[in-house]
Parts: sequence; structure tokens; C-alpha cells
Amino acid sequence: MSSSHPTTANSVSREEGAGYVLVRLSGEVDLSWSQDVRRAVLAAFAGNEPVGVELSAVGYIDSSGIAALVEGLQHARAQGRRFALVAPSDAVRAVLELARLDRVFAIVADTDALLAST
Amino acid sequence: MTVARQRIASLHAVAPRAREADALAFLAELSRSLAVSLDLRETLPRTITEVRDFLDVEGIALFLLDAATQVLECKVSAGPVDVTGMRLAVGQGIVGRAVAEDATQLVADADADARVWRAADEATGFVTRSIVCAPLRTAAGPIGVIEIVNRRDGKPFTEADAELLDLVAAPAALAINNARMAGALLEQQRLKREFDLARHLQKSLLPRRRRDAFPVLGVNRPAHEISGDFYDYFELVDGRIGFVVGDISGKGLDAALLMVRAASLLRWAGKDGLAPSAWLARANDELCETARDGRFVCALVGYVDRAATRIEFAGAGFPPVIVHRHGRYDEYAAGGPPLGILRDLVFGQHDLLLDGGTFYAFSDGATDVRDTTGKPIGLSGMRELIARHARETPQARLRGLLGELKRLHLVDDTTLLLVEAPQAERPELLLARTLPARAEAMRELRAELRAAFDEHGIEPRLRDRLVLAVDEACTNIIRHGYGPECEGAIVLRVSRSDSMLGIELVDDAPAVDPASIKPGPLGDCRCGGLGVALIDEVMDEWRIEPAEDGRGNRLVLRKRIPSWACEEADDT
Repeated sequence: MSSSHPTTANSVSREEGAGYVLVRLSGEVDLSWSQDVRRAVLAAFAGNEPVGVELSAVGYIDSSGIAALVEGLQHARAQGRRFALVAPSDAVRAVLELARLDRVFAIVADTDALLAST
Repeated sequence: MTVARQRIASLHAVAPRAREADALAFLAELSRSLAVSLDLRETLPRTITEVRDFLDVEGIALFLLDAATQVLECKVSAGPVDVTGMRLAVGQGIVGRAVAEDATQLVADADADARVWRAADEATGFVTRSIVCAPLRTAAGPIGVIEIVNRRDGKPFTEADAELLDLVAAPAALAINNARMAGALLEQQRLKREFDLARHLQKSLLPRRRRDAFPVLGVNRPAHEISGDFYDYFELVDGRIGFVVGDISGKGLDAALLMVRAASLLRWAGKDGLAPSAWLARANDELCETARDGRFVCALVGYVDRAATRIEFAGAGFPPVIVHRHGRYDEYAAGGPPLGILRDLVFGQHDLLLDGGTFYAFSDGATDVRDTTGKPIGLSGMRELIARHARETPQARLRGLLGELKRLHLVDDTTLLLVEAPQAERPELLLARTLPARAEAMRELRAELRAAFDEHGIEPRLRDRLVLAVDEACTNIIRHGYGPECEGAIVLRVSRSDSMLGIELVDDAPAVDPASIKPGPLGDCRCGGLGVALIDEVMDEWRIEPAEDGRGNRLVLRKRIPSWACEEADDT
């Protein structure tokens, strides 16, 4: 089996950095918990910092997971806030490309780039 | 360039004929024009004239060495006398000496040097006063010589002139060597094209796979570019089907040509419906008349009726066939030696009722495959492989057998032929599962799908897309078909029919209106409708229809798999 499908457990966590909020996802994002992801992403907009969603440990994402990210983007645009996907895995990139959303999202390599991407 | 610069600097200390900057610029331009030249026959005469004028000499000539005859021949020259075509032995004259010693030769005063070959001047009337010859050096030794004769200012050549010619010789040698290697490459490409042609010719002799209910199926896998193996089948006027498997001794182009001859001969000899033993005898006598160089042909020929109830066959030097019938494996040995060795042979034949069983014939490329301990797998190994794939469709079985043999490492051409009662073409089932219509069941399903797609050789990128499409289809059924309140199941079947992957999802949910399900545009920054859009993007076609028993829905996804299409092409 290819390395793009690690058997990491599903998890979502929130990390308050110096001047940003990072929502860190891992595992396989699908319908069974994409509502948790959606809530976590929207909750990250509570302050005024830029919001990033870290996706390097995501081995799979389906359309419901993508929808949670799209909702975050829409929320950010409506409020004039910064929002970016941080270090998406190959698996995530492949789905974004398939959905023609790879140019819609701001995609950055790390949190430094998240801060710089104004 | 540093070494060249030092050498030019040092030589101008002695002979400031050409300024250092000029010399460098000239050498750079010379290297460039030689390096980009596509046709040296066109470039060299011009280059040689430029070198003559730059060095300010009367005559210049370029000799190339014929490695086989060790003769140097002048290919281009410029000067008062055209010496093109002049031939010298290695060691003969100053030119020959430059090659023999692989060293630049300087003769300041030709009159006073006994090494100078005088016959040239005597024949042409030209007066040679002073000569420099530089070898064209390559890693594999000198390939020729560049020669300059007489400075225009009348003075004798100096060490500085010799060093400058040496610098000119280097890019010239490189360019000529490159051109020769390019020529050799072209020759290789021409040979490859001819081999390709031979291979296509051979492939075109193999019969097309029959898609209708047909009892005979074969595969052929050449070990190298061209094969010594073949198989064939054809219909007689009485409705029986004749079949042939052949294996030519030896390898290479002449074996391939004998294969073409043997294949047409065996087909011709079997068209009259002679008994298999007589069929072999006839082909043997014909082949004995023309076969040479100790080459021979191992063959198996036979007939079967369309329903594969009765089969008769005879082998000539061919490995025993295996008949798998009601859980038993019977072996039937060849009825005589290979064809093309001795005339007037009589071959034994077998005649049996297939009775729902399967007849397997395979060239020795299959039985000679070695197992992990290094021993040929033999007939018992083939029996094990057959048992492992016995439940698959004939096409899948042959593919499976060949796949296992390939994994063990095929070293010889391999041909497998199978005869059994034809079944209606049924798709090969890759995965069948009934899963609860719950989002929590999807992760395990995805892992199973990935494993099944991997096992059937679907490359990872396409595999991941297909997994996504099936997942999206299931989650749509879970979300919109059954809804949050409703419990149910999804019956999944993944199957292969030729190069087409088919995925069927049957649910028990209220009937949906197919017209209501439409893919949205991709790249759209909205939250809904993406799942169907992804399915539509990944699959070649999809449709939703009422399930057969009236309740529920049946979703069918189809995708042509490119790597499977390649396998199919190989099988024909």
C-alpha cells in the first residue's frame, strides 16, 4: 500500500501560535467526522489571527471534508480574514486538483508562510 | 580552457604569428561549429579551409584511419594539390607515423628528413618544404591525422605551429568520433525497427481472441523481442475447431522465421481434418525437407467440437498436456519426437471426452520456470498453479497463470492454451461486500478497495481516484438515500469485464429520481454537489436506476482501465 495512506488515527486539534491559529487534522477525513472538522475550522475564527488548517498527516479526504474547508474559506472571505491550507499531503492535493480547487485555496508550506501570506 | 590558454601563451613567446586572443577565439569558434554540425561531410571541408587560412599555410589534409585495414585515407584537403583519396599505411610517411606513435610530428626541413614519403610530391609536382602532422586522438586511440604543409611566409614550421595544430586536432577528433557514434546509433535503431517489424508480423499470425462462446483460448509471452512460440486455432467446415501450439528450438531472428513457416505449415496441414497423428506426420515430412542447422519444432495439434465434449490431440516433442476434470489431474504425453528431424515418423494420439473438464497445453517455457528453491516447477508446479486459479473465468485463469509464472521469472518464450466448454461471458468479480449504510463503515471499505485495486494492477493515482468515487457514491446513498433516520445496507460488487471496471451499488432506500442527481461544476466554491461532480469527473460513465426487485436503487459506475487494456492487447 502506498505511503499516502498512513493508518494514523483521526484527530483534530487546535494550536494557538504566535499570531495565528492552526487547526491540525490527521487521519482520513470523511463523512463520519467531517462535521467535527467543520466546527473546529469555524471556531478558529473566534479571534483576529490568520487561520491555517494543517493537512500533512491527512491520508484521505472526501467531498464532505473538502466542504468543511470551503466553508472556512467562505467565512474568511466574508470577514476579510486570512485563511490558508498548510502543507497539504499528496492525498489532499490530489483531491483538491480533481475538484479544481487547488487554485481557489491559498496553500502554504508552513506557518511562517501563513504569516507572510498577506 | 586554462591549459589551452597556457599553451597558447607559451607558444606566442616563441612565435607571435597569431595573437593569443585571435587563437582562442578561432579555437572556440572551431569547437562550436564542429559540435553543432549534423553532417560532417558538409562541415569538414569548410572547417579545413578555415584552419588553413588561420594557420596561414599552403596545404592542409585530414586523413581517417580504417580500423579494420589499418589504412589511412585522405577524406578532405585544401591547397594547391587535392590529395583527397590518397591512402597510406600506418607508419608510412609522416602522416602514418603520427598515428603509429600517437604523437604530433614536426618536420621543419622536409628535404633533410628521410622519413618524408617522397612519392606524393613526385606524383603531384608539389614541393613539400615543411610538415606538421597531429593525430586525431580519442580515448580508444588515434582515429586519423590532420596534416599541414608549408607556411605561406616560406619559413619552416616551429614547435609553436605544432602545438597550435595539436589544439585544432582535439575538437576535430571529438566531432568525428561523435558523428561515428551517432552513425552506430542510427544503425542500431534501424535493426530495432526491423526487429519490431518481425515481432508485429509474428503477433499478426496469432489468432484474434474470440469474444463469442468459443472453447479455445491462448496466451503467448515472448521472453525477448521476438518469440519462437506460437499458437493458432481455426474452424473446419464440419464445425470442429483445430488448434496448434508450437515451440521452435533456438532463439533469434532465424528461429522466428522458422516459426512463421512452421505456423503456416501446421495450419495448412490441419485444414483437411486429418487425424492429429496424420496431421503431425504430414507437417513433419514437409519440415524435414527444409529444416536446417539442427533446428526443430515441438508442436501439439488437435481438434475439439464447439461444445468441448470430445477432444483429440497429438504431440511432437511437446510437454505433456494436463486435463483437469472433476478434481483430478491427468497427464497425456507427446506421441513422438519433435518435427523436422526424421522423415516418415508415426505419431501416437489421444482421444478423450472432456466431460466438463479443462485441457491445458503449455510450452516448456512454463514448466521450466524455477520455483523459489531454484528447481523447475515442472508439471506438478503447473498443477498447483491451475488449482489455485481453477475457479476463475478462462480468460482470468490464463492471465492469472501467466502472472504467477512471470512473478517466478520467465526466462523462455511461454505459451498457454486452454480448452473447455464455453460459458456465457461473465464478468470477473474483484470484490463483493454488503456493508451497513453508515459513515463509520467507509474507512474499512476504502482499505479493501485499495487492496483489491492494487492486486489487480491499477496504478496508485487512478486507484485513489476510484476509491474516492466509490466513497462519494456510498456517502451519497447514506446521506440522501437512507437519510439520518434510516438504517440500511449497501451491496457493493466490483467487477472486471475485459478492460472495463464495473462498480455496482445496490441499496434498499426509497427510489430516487435519477434526473434529480446532477453533477455541479467543478472548481465552484460551494459546499454542496461536489460528491457527484467528483464521481462524474473520475468515472467514464455512471447511471442510477431502480433496483431489479422494484424497491431500492442500483447505481452503476464504469471506468476503462488503461493498464488492463494493455494486458488485453498482449493477450491477443
